[in-house]
Amino acid sequence: MSTKPAANGRDFPDILAGGVLIFLGALGLWAGRDLTYGTPAMMGPGFLPKSLCGIIALIGAIVLIKAWSKPHEALDAVNPKPLLILVAAIAGFAFAAERFGFVAATIWLLVVGSLADPESRWKEIFISTAVLTTLGALLFVYGLGVQMPIWPF
Amino acid sequence: MAFLDVLMLGFSEALTPTNLMFCFIGALLGTLIGVLPGIGPTATVAILLPVTFFLPPLGALIMLAGIFYGAQYGGSTTAILVNLPGEASAVVTAIDGYQMARKGRAGAALAIAALGSFFAGTVATIALAIAGPTLSAFALSFGPAEYVALCIFGLLAATILAHGSVVKAIGMVCLGLVLGMVGIDVNSGSARMTFGSTELYDGIDFVVIAVGLFGIAEIATNLESKEIRGVLQSKIGRLWPTREEFKDSWAAVLRGTGVGTILGVLPGGGATLSAFSAYSVEKRISKTPEKFGHGAIAGVAGPEAANNAGAQASFIPLLTLGIPSNSIMAMMLGAMTIHGITPGPSVIQNQPELFWGLVASMWLGNAMLLVINLPLIGLWVKLLQIPYRLMYPAILLFCCVGVYSVSNRGFDVALVILFGILGYVLRKARCEPGPLLLGFVLGPLLETNLRRAMLLSQGDWLVFFERPISAFLLVITAAMLLTLILPTIRKNRKAAFEASED
Repeated sequence: MSTKPAANGRDFPDILAGGVLIFLGALGLWAGRDLTYGTPAMMGPGFLPKSLCGIIALIGAIVLIKAWSKPHEALDAVNPKPLLILVAAIAGFAFAAERFGFVAATIWLLVVGSLADPESRWKEIFISTAVLTTLGALLFVYGLGVQMPIWPF
Repeated sequence: MAFLDVLMLGFSEALTPTNLMFCFIGALLGTLIGVLPGIGPTATVAILLPVTFFLPPLGALIMLAGIFYGAQYGGSTTAILVNLPGEASAVVTAIDGYQMARKGRAGAALAIAALGSFFAGTVATIALAIAGPTLSAFALSFGPAEYVALCIFGLLAATILAHGSVVKAIGMVCLGLVLGMVGIDVNSGSARMTFGSTELYDGIDFVVIAVGLFGIAEIATNLESKEIRGVLQSKIGRLWPTREEFKDSWAAVLRGTGVGTILGVLPGGGATLSAFSAYSVEKRISKTPEKFGHGAIAGVAGPEAANNAGAQASFIPLLTLGIPSNSIMAMMLGAMTIHGITPGPSVIQNQPELFWGLVASMWLGNAMLLVINLPLIGLWVKLLQIPYRLMYPAILLFCCVGVYSVSNRGFDVALVILFGILGYVLRKARCEPGPLLLGFVLGPLLETNLRRAMLLSQGDWLVFFERPISAFLLVITAAMLLTLILPTIRKNRKAAFEASED
């Protein structure tokens, strides 16, 4: 698309996209390896999943190959720290929700989750966690009737 | 008159106190998230989807729709006042609207934007009321082959008209289709791609994917970089536009409404595309194109009317054919499915109160927005001062509890993590998650009908070209794909989207 000479170009977002698509296509093919394919007239459960996973991997390969000769395009700055902290916060919530109840799960989620923003201050975290946990319990568990214990015991 | 009867039915449904309240909540929430940068209507609807499970079906739809069109209003407020478009569709409004604000005409720009949006919303609502019964009557004659063609047309057209690379978008569609097939296959009873997990037998819930891709991933990307905060440039000034400003804008509003209504119906269309197209139309038609970019009121009026018309017109394909045209409509489809409603031509026939109630509520919602927005502008601007670090924990809590409440299990919350990471990686790879969502919701419809059509034709692929409607749709799809390969169109499309990325 661009006429700029791009000898050492490489479109990095596209390389990533191609890699992700190939990986997911292959993963899908592996996960569905036991499904029968069938014929067009009598499609088996594996007909569309397998065909589509093949197409996904193929598209990934095309994107990847084309990315090599495209003009240079840098990846946006990657700062995985907030994401990792969020993952820890949500994982804790998922684990604690059924076992220890709303209050414990929510306090973990909000305190750990708030650390994802370096600008957070402990005082603010303390206040917002207290407010949100109370409001959340009232709104979700009492108000909307979400089936989750409130206290760990 | 039958038309008046159904409208009466619609208004009697929409005017009940509960539905009026949901309409108001939706419009208010929409304005709020439209004003706040960092959270858009797609994420909000995704997060609120599980909550709608507890509401009556019509109330839920009315509220979600209100969020969508309310966000169009709110987004333009910040675009004009602080040059910070709250929504993608308000990016063009910022160009001329902010210049007007610097000249002390912010009030006029806001008033024209609101009045233009209201007018456009009214017209698009009427278009929906007229097009609905006609299109759905037509669609009732569709067989499996037509539905397959319609799905393919909808999915591919959405990738072509949407932002970014088409090849990657098609990859996203396929990924969504595959995700929609996870779980027990209804025809054969075999578990597909469940990795041996019994929790996945019912498939992946729509809410999990929507919250992961749009909620969690968005928080993670927002937290990565420093917050940009706008500064209020000037006083708002007199609200009422001068006679000259009025004269310059009414034609633009009409044109914008037309552009928006037509583009909104197309797959992949909707608010953003409509606004950009309307801006370029105004610039081309204007006698004084040099004024654009320096505070031309037509450059505010046209796109504002168009984004609102586009937002509402995109309900037409969903409510009449059952085919969502963008990710918000996919969420609406998800909300309808939660309540056991299958969107499509039969809704108008079997549940007229639902269809007409929603249509009537949209008009009421637009009227409410006028009241919410114009007198309360000062309040909305103050909200801009709230830092993101105080907002996102609440969003996070809504995401997690919402997902948990779908089946009352922590497993779904854990699954959200996977989709959050996927959404984050896809953003880095510049893949739009919208097409994935469209593929996911249309996957079951496509597969059932494809199997049925092929069974009926005994494995003959030509069946799709023997039936006129399906052949027509497939030929259009092929033509669109072909034009994409032609260099001139490719260049234009790229230029159009590059302008939108500024």
